[in-house]
Amino acid sequence: MSASLDRGLNAFKEQIDAPVAAFFSSCVRCGLCAEACLFYTETNDPVRTPIHKLEPLRRVWKQEYTFWGRLASALGMSKPVTDEELTNWETLVYDSCTLCGRCSMVCPVGNDIAYMIRKMREGMAVAGHAPPDLIGATKRAVTIGSPMGVKLPALQAQIRHAEKEIGFSIPVDVEGADYMLLLSSMEIMNFPEFISAIARIFKHANVSWTISSEAFEATNSGIQIGVSEIAAELVERIVTAAGKLKVKSVISPECGHAYMAIRWEGPNLIGRPYDFKVVHILELLDELREQGRLKTTGMETQRLTYHDPCQVSRRGGVVQQPRNLLNMVAENFVEMPETGTMNWCCGAGGGVSSNERADDLRLKAFNRKKKQFDAIHPDAIVSACSNCRIHLEDGLEEYDMDIPVLSLTETIAEHLAGSEQPGSKE
Amino acid sequence: MTRISNDTEFRKALDGLDPARQRHVAARFVENVLALCSDERIARVLRVAGNTEASEGELAEALKTAKATTFDCHTRCGSEGDWSEQAGYFVARAATAALTPIGQMPSGPAWQAALSSRMAQTSESIVSGDDIAGQEADQQYGILSEFLNP
Repeated sequence: MSASLDRGLNAFKEQIDAPVAAFFSSCVRCGLCAEACLFYTETNDPVRTPIHKLEPLRRVWKQEYTFWGRLASALGMSKPVTDEELTNWETLVYDSCTLCGRCSMVCPVGNDIAYMIRKMREGMAVAGHAPPDLIGATKRAVTIGSPMGVKLPALQAQIRHAEKEIGFSIPVDVEGADYMLLLSSMEIMNFPEFISAIARIFKHANVSWTISSEAFEATNSGIQIGVSEIAAELVERIVTAAGKLKVKSVISPECGHAYMAIRWEGPNLIGRPYDFKVVHILELLDELREQGRLKTTGMETQRLTYHDPCQVSRRGGVVQQPRNLLNMVAENFVEMPETGTMNWCCGAGGGVSSNERADDLRLKAFNRKKKQFDAIHPDAIVSACSNCRIHLEDGLEEYDMDIPVLSLTETIAEHLAGSEQPGSKE
Repeated sequence: MTRISNDTEFRKALDGLDPARQRHVAARFVENVLALCSDERIARVLRVAGNTEASEGELAEALKTAKATTFDCHTRCGSEGDWSEQAGYFVARAATAALTPIGQMPSGPAWQAALSSRMAQTSESIVSGDDIAGQEADQQYGILSEFLNP
């Protein structure tokens, strides 16, 4: 057995906690999870059945932690997990799963299969079976602070650009602000208008906020690749910056997995509670709406629908807030057939978008999303995850569908009442 | 008419243009940063955007090409970003905005084309380290002033 395989199998053993053991022992092999997974429904390939993706982990559980499995191992009657098998499973665990969690929703015995895939990735990464592109992104996140290599001078340039556009300054490193805004590298590189949209909304609503120059990156590659030590280190950077600036809350931006990482996994990763609250930007905007601090003007007349980012809606619980916000600005809002917690993934989450070798499969799986759009024929799609946004655009182009994809935060900013529109001030 | 000297006047003047003239001036904004994009499709697209005789079919095809180029030029999530290439992405995005029908872009195609062109210059300034991004806005004021007063 190679040293890396040995380490990987040990990592598998360490990852088998009480929930994982309970899930494996209660699986009734009904196969319902298959029909909930876009990688199965769009390929009809049984190896892409969610529970099957966990087979090596299940075997380790059985061989190490069940009476009959241990007996079989002692008698030489069980088949050990091999390096070759893990090589074969790498594409199932990383390329064919976005950790969207739809399979977990339909499991009749309540098994959280996405949670188990997340656990399995820990062992896969240790055994040397993680995709090279995710390894590169994770290395950059650790060494540079961003999976895309975005450094502080680049953010500062984007902030200067936004300040010129909106006509007022954007707070950086302001001690004692109420909120510290995180940004994803995708927003800084591909959608910098998100920064000016946020600034305009916060000025309009009189929100006390800041960006930290020491920890502005929201994403967490450690979660995606499955290395908890790295994930914890990336969370710690945010915790340290929030403590230094003495903020009351940290805002997760329009990025799905960033919200999952900092809101739900973060405290467990670092082993202690935060001294601050974490809110998704949509949660905050909806709070401002409720408080009467967010006023909009005008309505979009086109037929708008909302794509729920999996980690924000299904795994994160932010379902009603985007709909409340859309009701402020869209008079023709239409839901897709399966939506909210049962929405279909765009196919690019959980590190799949970073993994170039998965492109063909991702676009094939997008056919599931296409069917949702075909059912309602929207004029535009609104979402709240920059990764979903760019991959919805990619999928729509692949399937020759001409539908614009919009950011919800930016759409709200476009409708702000008063004078917080770009170009309206010097 | 006095020369446009700030974004308030700039946006007001753009909002006063009909859709065709918005497209024509937007094409000029993008031409001003075209050197930052190495994808040859954008130059072809701009010729259509700036053509007063372009048919609806030609405009639709050019928009499709601009969108495809934009997607091809973006930095994928998790990959190492290159700000020079990113400048090309914003040029492609500016060209897409220029060709987008006004009904699909309530803030105005020309304004969006101007902003994306400035973002292209910002990306280039990240590479060079020179704070030249603000100069693009001034150049756009000049382009619009000339466009309005040929």
